[in-house]
Amino acid sequence: MRRTVLSAVALACTAVLAGSVPAFADGASPTPSPTVSQTASTAPSQAPGAAPTAVPSDAPGTAAPAESTAPGQVAAVPQGAPNTGVAPVSSHSSGADGGLIGAGAAAALALGGGAVLVVRRRRATGA
Amino acid sequence: MTPLSRRAFTAAAAGALLTGCGGARAAHPSGTGGPTTTPLHTTGSSRPPANPVRALARSIPVGLRIPAIGVDTPVMQLGLAADGTVEVPPIAAHDEAGWYRYSPTPGQTGPSVILAHVTVGAYGDGVFRHLARLRPGDRIVARLENGSQPEFTVTGVRTVAKSDFPTAAVYGDVDRPELRLITCGGPRSGSGYLDNVIVFAELAPAGS
Repeated sequence: MRRTVLSAVALACTAVLAGSVPAFADGASPTPSPTVSQTASTAPSQAPGAAPTAVPSDAPGTAAPAESTAPGQVAAVPQGAPNTGVAPVSSHSSGADGGLIGAGAAAALALGGGAVLVVRRRRATGA
Repeated sequence: MTPLSRRAFTAAAAGALLTGCGGARAAHPSGTGGPTTTPLHTTGSSRPPANPVRALARSIPVGLRIPAIGVDTPVMQLGLAADGTVEVPPIAAHDEAGWYRYSPTPGQTGPSVILAHVTVGAYGDGVFRHLARLRPGDRIVARLENGSQPEFTVTGVRTVAKSDFPTAAVYGDVDRPELRLITCGGPRSGSGYLDNVIVFAELAPAGS
């Protein structure tokens, strides 16, 4: 009876060793086990990562344009209102500035001319 | 320990070992399973056109004529600006209109969008200076690249605040060839305007 028990225990030990050898082989060779773990880690990360990012990005990101752009007649709907007008303020201001400059130049010419006349008359009168 | 209990012990030990070896392997495949493909869009706006006007083939507009307000202008192509707004023609002395190239061409089914300035700063009036004067029934003629000149009839003129721009009404789907002419208007704010003037027009039946 002891023999059978001992043989069973020996068989169990050999089974343990046989089972643990591949486990050690997996652990000893670093390349396979990390790749396995990487694939195992990337697979779940892809699954949950893809699912949430796809769904919210569809929902808020493209909700407004997607309804009207992708299947719509306008391929890409612009945002906001177009800015189709630059008020002619600068043109008026530049025109006013030009007028002021012209008036100033005319006034300077008139003053200069008047001064020349005064000088000539004084010289003519012998002053 | 009786022989029966010994056998049971050894059997339990072997069973535990076997289940322990198998359980570790079973842990790997149980990770994923989440749906990676989600349905994106359900296309299906296949509304049959319910108008007698026949839509034209796609041809890029190269000119625009609006006799009622004396407009006769070449038409350039406009896209989207970096901020997502629609591009507008450049501020230049020889102002011209621009067709938004992501909209249908004039005569195709859908809203074809053409924009131009109301004023161009120091250069004075823009091409669409008097766009707000258009009234329902006025004619608009588009010159297309293929030589055809589809005629449109004004159906409405709206002046809307830029802060409340009717995007759906302007860019939304329609069941016939339509035209949208857009410029600025209303009170000024600094160097710009607070409103947009939008002219809605539809393709006139051929021969009208």
